[in-house]
Amino acid sequence: MNEFLEHGLNQNRRKFLSKLSLGIGGLALGSLVAPGLFNAANEDDLFANVLPHFAPKAKRIIYLFQNGAPSQLDLFDYKPLLQKMHGSELPASIRMGQRLTGMTANQAKFPLAGTKFNFSQHGSSGAWFSETLPHLATMADDMCIVKTIYTEAINHDPALTFFQTGSQVGNRPSMGSWISYGLGSENKNLPAFCVLLSKGKGNGQGVYSKLWNNGFLDSIHQGVQFSSGEEPVKYLTDPEFIKRGDKRAILDEIAALNQESYKEIGDPEIVTKIQQYELSYRMQMAVPEITSLQNEPESIVKMYGPECLVPGTYAANCLLARKLSENGVRFVQLYHQGWDTHGNLPSELEGQCKDVDQSSAALIKDLKQRGLLDETLVIWGGEFGRTNYCQGALTKDNYGRDHHPKCFTIWMAGGGVKPGVHGETDDFGYNINSLPVHVHDFHATVMHLMGIRHEEFTYKHLGRRYRLTDVSGNVINDLIS
Amino acid sequence: MRLNKLSAYTLNALWLLNPFLLLIALFNEKLKLGIYLEWLGKMHPLFLHFPIVLGTLIGIYFIVDKKNSIDEKNVHAILVGNAFLSSMVAILGIFLSKQDSYDEQLIFLHQWGGVAIAFISWGLIYLQKSQIFKNKYNYRVQFSMVYLLVIIIFTHKGAQLTHGANVINFPQKEVANELQAVKVVTDSNATLYVKAVEPILQQKCVGCHGADKVKGELLLNTPANILKGGKDGNILSFDKDKESMLFERIHLDITHKKHMPPEGKTQLTTEEVAILSRWIKAGGDFKVKMRELAKTDSLFLFANKYTPVDNTKVIGKTGLPDLKEYNSSYCTVNYLFNGSDAIDVNFFQRNFYSQAVLKKLENVKDQIIRLNMQSMPLTSEDINIISQFNNVENINLNYTSLDLKAIEPLKQLKKLKYLSICGIKFSEAELNSFLKGATFSKINVWSNVNNQAQLEKLAAQYPKIKFTIGDNLENELFKINVPTIDQDSSIITRFLDVKIKHLLNGVTIRYTTDGADPDSATSPVYKNTLRLTRNTNLKVKVFKPGWLSSDIVQRNFYKSEIHPDSIYLVSSPDKKYLGDGAKTLVDLELGGSNFTNKKWLGYKDTTMKFIVDFKQPQLLHQAFLNSLIDVGGYVFPIVSIAVEGSDDGVKYKKISETKFPTITQKDVMRDIKTFTYIFPNNTTYKHYRFTVLNLKKLPVWHPGKGTPAWIFIDELFLN
Repeated sequence: MNEFLEHGLNQNRRKFLSKLSLGIGGLALGSLVAPGLFNAANEDDLFANVLPHFAPKAKRIIYLFQNGAPSQLDLFDYKPLLQKMHGSELPASIRMGQRLTGMTANQAKFPLAGTKFNFSQHGSSGAWFSETLPHLATMADDMCIVKTIYTEAINHDPALTFFQTGSQVGNRPSMGSWISYGLGSENKNLPAFCVLLSKGKGNGQGVYSKLWNNGFLDSIHQGVQFSSGEEPVKYLTDPEFIKRGDKRAILDEIAALNQESYKEIGDPEIVTKIQQYELSYRMQMAVPEITSLQNEPESIVKMYGPECLVPGTYAANCLLARKLSENGVRFVQLYHQGWDTHGNLPSELEGQCKDVDQSSAALIKDLKQRGLLDETLVIWGGEFGRTNYCQGALTKDNYGRDHHPKCFTIWMAGGGVKPGVHGETDDFGYNINSLPVHVHDFHATVMHLMGIRHEEFTYKHLGRRYRLTDVSGNVINDLIS
Repeated sequence: MRLNKLSAYTLNALWLLNPFLLLIALFNEKLKLGIYLEWLGKMHPLFLHFPIVLGTLIGIYFIVDKKNSIDEKNVHAILVGNAFLSSMVAILGIFLSKQDSYDEQLIFLHQWGGVAIAFISWGLIYLQKSQIFKNKYNYRVQFSMVYLLVIIIFTHKGAQLTHGANVINFPQKEVANELQAVKVVTDSNATLYVKAVEPILQQKCVGCHGADKVKGELLLNTPANILKGGKDGNILSFDKDKESMLFERIHLDITHKKHMPPEGKTQLTTEEVAILSRWIKAGGDFKVKMRELAKTDSLFLFANKYTPVDNTKVIGKTGLPDLKEYNSSYCTVNYLFNGSDAIDVNFFQRNFYSQAVLKKLENVKDQIIRLNMQSMPLTSEDINIISQFNNVENINLNYTSLDLKAIEPLKQLKKLKYLSICGIKFSEAELNSFLKGATFSKINVWSNVNNQAQLEKLAAQYPKIKFTIGDNLENELFKINVPTIDQDSSIITRFLDVKIKHLLNGVTIRYTTDGADPDSATSPVYKNTLRLTRNTNLKVKVFKPGWLSSDIVQRNFYKSEIHPDSIYLVSSPDKKYLGDGAKTLVDLELGGSNFTNKKWLGYKDTTMKFIVDFKQPQLLHQAFLNSLIDVGGYVFPIVSIAVEGSDDGVKYKKISETKFPTITQKDVMRDIKTFTYIFPNNTTYKHYRFTVLNLKKLPVWHPGKGTPAWIFIDELFLN
């Protein structure tokens, strides 16, 4: 054989390695056409260039979660038939074998319970409001009331988890985390996702931090829970003897050390940690300014009700939510506990409404007068509805209602929703007559308002791509203006 | 010789090309190509047939030539050439794939098929030299077969990409069932027109055929105007033989001068054309409802799936700069959405505002359409910069401490539609001069304009502007919320300092300690701290001018002057509510409203008895027992307290017994109450024995009628 050829084909180890160097040259050449290929991939950047998919109608969300499930039949979904049939048995043709919770499954009778409250119509859409919501009723023309939301879960925890994460099993990222991951923070000095808790006097159900968890997303997207004390974010103030410049120097040193160990180990959580330190450094300046409610003018205090000055109340959280949102927090999540009215519904509901009515209405009004309502989506609602039949003993003016997943009411305002009343339930308030909106549809619609095509917004984890809407969900155009 | 040299070089080149190929194939999505590489990509169809033919021939040769009759060297040269061409064509193919949108699945298969061919061809060069390949004919045949198959299958995918999926199908009438897979959702009441037709017209047509601009005398903003038609007559034809003009215009070739929307404007998508034309063909009905259409009707399916998306926010800039350099911790600058050239700017944190940041935005000034400068410390210099942002549509200047005169230059901005100036102070005259000649359509003027009368006057004066005002609540009466009494303990030993807090500025807090309701005139005003020294029923009320006074908050404080030397329980509490034993009664800590918290002693089946010991005989005046009532929880008030005294601790002498009234169904259901026992004058003993009786039979109106009631006691106070 030709020596030259022989030489060219002679593959020993040295030969292989030297050829390999050519291969590396090839790789290097490749990195020229695909810039940033060998940089540490930053998920934030990854989606920052892709989202929003189209011009968003809403830039921010304030979700007023009514934890425990408010009774739609005593607030928005007026059913005179139930009052007429008060005490008579729920017809089997209406129930259609719908499963019940363990709390009423053994009940011998299912007597229908008509609402005790008076209803009246408000706004140009003629939306019905119960007398327990006098303030919200004045905002009827700004509200998009959806009477036909339905869910798959029938107990609190799975239902809540479903609403917050798109899955009944709790290991997925919360809605706010998805939004934080997709759109990032508007104001770099505040977390993109904040959580505020309050508690009414009614029968309560717990809220757990898993509801604002980042799931498989980077932990920077986790909801930041503000505490209800006088210091909403704990440990934000420096000890007296630490000057701001010193603090900066300390953080820079720590960041350098963290960078070292990131280079060594490559765990993306280290980068997250650096970002979190930076964020909290900037939060030291931004948060006290935003969370001090006492500089609010008196007309605002009157609007939300003077309770809004008492930290930890729903009214205070609504006011704080406005301030956070106004300052560019993408997703503010409130939870108000105490809506689980299995018994003594009339008195418990009245108390809960007193807590939330004025301040929820004030939030819409306040955003509107500042010109922010157009770009802020406000959502108000629970995890499911309540039954049209009574749980426990039914008397003339006392009753309770069990969980009902098949239809319930939530309302939204601002952020590109179409004001008015949407969907119809049947005369018993038990089934949906038109425009069913599944939780996935609701999520898809909210994402659409934020300029996101929900089917294309995914995160790959454990070998598959996940979405907030799992594998279904349709944008409900009827709700969009 | 020259051939040998060439193939050796090529062989080396393959070591460069193939890893490169693998890399760009793997990271296809991240590729960003310049125009030269894009141009190179166009060579893909030019070269691709060479390696297909060569590869096929090689495959066939290895099968046919059982005896290796051709000179090995020549075969080698051909193999090297084939491998080189395969790699090149695959690389060019990937370049090409970036330039247009293709069917994802097809392009995936074709791409990786190409990569596979390149690598197998490369491998063949080395295989050919191996003994197995030379001697074991069977293996060689099998391998070649696979090679041939890979070439045929995956290059065919490429043909499908260019010539369509049915490139080699026998000609057949194609059946269109494009939309069968669409899921049916709705049941809505909306009409087809409102749901799908109107949004398309609004987005793509009304800009030129709307109230602001009426081209060709045609308005497309309402059904009536659509029916009216334009300069050239009706645009909808209800005559079967005549095509509607609207239908014709949207179907004309884009270069045709009558094509609508005109070239250069945002075009209709295929989906939108489908909806409009199907609607026109179906008779252009404005009233038909979605739910009245057949669910299999393609018009229904298209319209139902249609979600209007706002993609019109494009100014028409090409080459979108990276906005990273404009972003900082206190200013975010982003494109409105991916693919848009319109920019959205937000400033945050007043203390860190710098004009330089705003100034820098002049580089992209024509692209900014939304500017949020809420509460920034702006000057008229800043406004001058902003007034050059020609395309800005929405400006937020809330709480910027400017005056109307300072923002006058903003009126030059012809595109400005929406201005927000809440918190900026002005007089009516100033507002009038500011609004004169203003072109924007919406303005927020809350905090200066805040009543309906003012609003109506403005609306009449400036009919083109929509005003948003706020609520004026300053003169409305609201009730103040209750104050907080800031003292955790309710027990006064020597004295107890109590603070009363209220968060509203300028309130007057008044209180009483004698059980009377505080009033706004005579009750003492709370100043700093309140020092309590005896049993107190503290009532507090808050007053403020312009507000309704608050509800009354009340708290009881108990004096506990005398502390026994020891205390022990004669009868044991219920197992579940043992508290901390006898100590619980004198630990100077109240139990709160939850009787399960180990600070309460609970009795039901046994009667509560305890003994209080003093080392020296002790004179007592009063004893208080603090007790919880929760009727729903079967916890009832104390029935009676009986006390016996003794000096030797053995023989007890009855002192007296106090009975308490029972409750009725109408009474408070849940409460914490103190029961008072008064000793007769000069009662002095070393040992006192207390017997506290609970209700032994619940009344008939209670669900637990007939069974004993609970009592819960958390503290004993002696004075």
